[in-house]
Amino acid sequence: MSKTFLNAIYVFAALLILAAFAFKVFQPIQVLPRMRIAPAYQFTDQDGQPLTSETLRGQFALYSFTYTQCPAPCYNMAETMQEIQSRLGEVDLGGIPVTFITISLDPDRDTTEVLKAYGESIGADFNHWKFVTTTNKDLLKTIVGAGFETYYENIGDGSIRFDPGYVLVDGWGVIRAEYRYATEVSDADRILRHLGVLADEVKNSKGSTKLAYEAAHLFLCYAP
Amino acid sequence: MSAQNMHIDSYERNWMIFSFILLAVFASAIAVAAFGMEIQVPAPEERVDPGTVATDPNSPWSNPGLREIAPGKYDAYILARAVPQWEYLPKEITVPVGSRVTFYVTSPDVQHGFKIQDTNANFMVLPGQVSKLTVTFDKPGAYNFICTEFCGAGHGVMYGAVIVTP
Repeated sequence: MSKTFLNAIYVFAALLILAAFAFKVFQPIQVLPRMRIAPAYQFTDQDGQPLTSETLRGQFALYSFTYTQCPAPCYNMAETMQEIQSRLGEVDLGGIPVTFITISLDPDRDTTEVLKAYGESIGADFNHWKFVTTTNKDLLKTIVGAGFETYYENIGDGSIRFDPGYVLVDGWGVIRAEYRYATEVSDADRILRHLGVLADEVKNSKGSTKLAYEAAHLFLCYAP
Repeated sequence: MSAQNMHIDSYERNWMIFSFILLAVFASAIAVAAFGMEIQVPAPEERVDPGTVATDPNSPWSNPGLREIAPGKYDAYILARAVPQWEYLPKEITVPVGSRVTFYVTSPDVQHGFKIQDTNANFMVLPGQVSKLTVTFDKPGAYNFICTEFCGAGHGVMYGAVIVTP
C-alpha cells in the first residue's frame, strides 16, 4: 500500500471522527427518544364507541389521566390540554392528525354520559379529543400502570391518588415522551414543541435524510 | 533525521503499542456498553424549579415515596435535602424481591449524591434537575443508600435504605 493512500485513509478517518463529534455537539437534527412500546388496549369513549390503540396508528396520540369526581385541590389536566387544543394550529404537523385521549381512572362513576358532559364542560372537540375508560379494572390498572407507567390507586374514601402526567405516542405505537412533573417550560409549550419535532422526523426521514435521523437517535440528540 | 530511521527502543515501542490498544479497547467497551447492552447513564432528565419542587401539591416530591405502578414495578420519588436537616425523604422503602424500581431523585437546596450499595446506582443529585435510574433488586436484604457528594455538616448522617423482602 502506497504511503499517500495510507495518509488519505488517516485523514478520512480523522474527518469522520470530527464530523461525528460536531454532529453530537451542534446537534443539527434533534429527535425524541424511542422509549418503549405503548400498551395495546380497547376502551369505550364518551359516545359509547370502542377506541383501540390500532385506531390511532399513523397519527400522534397524547394521553392524559384524570377522573371527573376529583376533589378541589386535584391536578387539573384540562387547562394544559385546552391550551394545546387551541394552539395546535401553531405547529407545522405536515397533515399528521393528533388525537388527545383522556383516560378516566374511575370507571365506576365515569360512565359514558358523565365523560361526555365533562368533555363538553371543558370545551373539548370530540373529533380529536376522546374521553375513555374501561369497566375492567384490572385491565385499566395494567394499561395505565404497566403500560403508560402512570401511578394511581384508590385510597378508600372514594378518591383516587394519582401522579399527573402526559404521554406522547407516535404513529408506530411507540412512546416518545413522558411529562411527569412541572419543568421550567410549561407542559403545553413542551408538548407543542415535541409534536413539531416528531412531525419533522416523519416528514424528513426519507432516503438519505433518514440516515441522518437514525444518526441523531444513535448519538442521543434528544430535543429538550 | 526522518521518522523512519528514528531509533525507538523495542521495549518502549511495545509499551506504546500496548497503551494504544488499551485505549482502543476501552473506547469500544464504552460504545458496546452504551449502544449494545443498553447500559443507562444516569442522565439529568429535565429542569425543574428547586424552589417549588418540594412544596407544589402537583409535584410528585411534595408527597415523596414509593408508588406501585404495576405488580413488581415501582416508581420511587426521593427528595434529598439539607434543610431543615440532612436527610432523604423517605428514609426507607420496602419492596419485594425481584422488583424493578425507577428512582426519581431531586434536591430543593444544595447538591447531593445518591449511591445504592451493591447496585450500579450512583449519581449526582442537583437542585433544578431530576436524576432517574432503574434498578432491579434480585436478592433480598437491606441496600443502604448514601450521599456521595459533600453537602454540609450533616453529610455523614445522610443515608437511607431499600429493604428487599424475600
